[in-house]
Amino acid sequence: MPLCVLEQVKKTYKIGEEEIEVLKGIDLRIDYGEFAAIMGPSGSGKTTLMNILGCLDVPTSGEYILADNSVTHLDDDRLSVLRNEHIGFVFQNFYLMTYATVLENVLLPTLYVEKQKHGNIGKKAIEILDLVGLKDRAKFKPNQLSGGQQQRVAIARALINNPEMILADEPTGQLDSKTAGEIMGLLARMNEKGKTVIVITHDSSTAAYARRVIHLKDGLIVDRDSWSV
Amino acid sequence: MERLVKVLSQSLRAVIVFRLRTSFCLLSVALGIASITIIVAATEGAYKKAFDMVEMFGPDALLVVSGSDEARAVGQRAKTLTLDDVQAVREAFPSAYVVVPMTSIAEVTVAYKDKKDQTLLVGATADYSRAWTWPVVQGSDLTEEDIKGLRNVGLIGQYLADTLFGDESPVGKYVFVRNIPVQIVGVLSSRGMTPMGFNLDDRIVMPLTSVMTKILNERKYVPVFRVRFTDQQNLDYYTNELKLLLRERHKLPTGEIDNFKIISPKEIIAFLVALTGSLVVFIGIVGVISLIVAGFVLANLFLLSVKERTTEIGIRRSVGARKRDIRLQFLGEAVIITTMGGLVGFLAGVIGSHLLTLVAQFPIHFSWKAFVIGLLLSWLVGIGFGLQPASQAANLKPIEAIRG
Repeated sequence: MPLCVLEQVKKTYKIGEEEIEVLKGIDLRIDYGEFAAIMGPSGSGKTTLMNILGCLDVPTSGEYILADNSVTHLDDDRLSVLRNEHIGFVFQNFYLMTYATVLENVLLPTLYVEKQKHGNIGKKAIEILDLVGLKDRAKFKPNQLSGGQQQRVAIARALINNPEMILADEPTGQLDSKTAGEIMGLLARMNEKGKTVIVITHDSSTAAYARRVIHLKDGLIVDRDSWSV
Repeated sequence: MERLVKVLSQSLRAVIVFRLRTSFCLLSVALGIASITIIVAATEGAYKKAFDMVEMFGPDALLVVSGSDEARAVGQRAKTLTLDDVQAVREAFPSAYVVVPMTSIAEVTVAYKDKKDQTLLVGATADYSRAWTWPVVQGSDLTEEDIKGLRNVGLIGQYLADTLFGDESPVGKYVFVRNIPVQIVGVLSSRGMTPMGFNLDDRIVMPLTSVMTKILNERKYVPVFRVRFTDQQNLDYYTNELKLLLRERHKLPTGEIDNFKIISPKEIIAFLVALTGSLVVFIGIVGVISLIVAGFVLANLFLLSVKERTTEIGIRRSVGARKRDIRLQFLGEAVIITTMGGLVGFLAGVIGSHLLTLVAQFPIHFSWKAFVIGLLLSWLVGIGFGLQPASQAANLKPIEAIRG
């Protein structure tokens, strides 16, 4: 069953008078439960693709369907709701709120939930922190943690609203290779638990954790089947 | 609703975390609100004092003063009002239940044993207490017999009683008024100071007849008389009628200015309010300017803060915050800060205006009104100047914000 379907997705940026077509017609289908890596050199359009997949931006033309929602023509509020319900982000620079505790960071997405479904959200956050191995760090501030630990907090934050998809943008970019391996292992475990994981990276050792690699070049997907594992 | 509370709790969090920004904004708002509080308290104080004065003067009363408006000081006014005028008014207005002529002499020496005081001597008719709604607390009022018999009796104010008699009871005792022995028959209740610093309780009231004949050597003219009407709502009408009657009696041709002056409660209010008015306007300008400055301080610090916290905004947007959530959060931060500023400012205003009363004769009065006005203004500053930075934060594109 498809979670993400992209049909002829194009994205054009206007810089002054000049129009730059960053995505030139992407056709892509990602099913529930997949672990996919999107690879490509800088300038290939992988950041733009990740923005569109993450509902942070909309295509200029073409169709993007996320969990049966047509994203292309949604307004900003609806995009926010989609992000809140369906997507958990993990960023290269962790992007934790420096003045908030680990627990508060994990709980951040729950602030913007329309109607809270879970009974005890604080208890759930602790459970997720336990899952990522940081239960005893709940009251710490991000700057008291190592890079790997911070990224675990970010993963816990990505899980709290129970989204179908985890979208990780260069999740290991700031980490040494050992820690990077731990983080990718954690993402793989989440995938085994049923999460769809999409990793955007230029690093092949990171991409190696994925069961499918989508290679992007000059705004187009290149021979994706040959990269499938 | 639940979401609103959660977003505002984030505002509160940020207010605590970004202490430096909070304290700068808070102090500048507090300064403005403090001066606004003083103004409101002073304005209310002035009005309250004015209405207290009118209450003493009598809301149903008119005071007719001899002489034209040109020579203001009472002592210099021409003698134009006669006892016959007073009698004519008494006959012309059936609804005038009090028509009393009066005279006064300032700085009259009154002595009792070895004690002396320079006081105001008032010549009045019977029932002085009723004419001025001024209760007699010891002894009794002047009577008709006192007036007719040109008796040497006196009613004294509380201050004079204290000065001359101390703990002794003044009633029945004799004092010397310009070497004339005068028996004290009563003591008036305390009325305190006027806003201009005149002590109302420093006076002795004697029969008009006695004062005119024995001290002023005067048989015809009175400097002032007082009229009270049973139907207060027609006071404007009576003022005009009284003016026409006196003009006719004084044979003033059309175009000639009045050679008397009628003072009504309205004029007293206008005068007293004008007295504090200039100070109020001054502090008002200071207050409004400092509030505007506070607003700009707030707007600038918030714009800086939005720049600094771009990543935070990006994070919040990426996890599902809508534009309005971000706007509400920043607006919430601004309003929380200005509200605190408003409260601090109100306190400072209360202290400040008490200090002001120590320096100047300045009536102040605090009510919920000063508090509410201060609070509303602080909200206005918070919303008015916080909206632009908050909207700027809300309108950051998530993809740009997340990249810093």
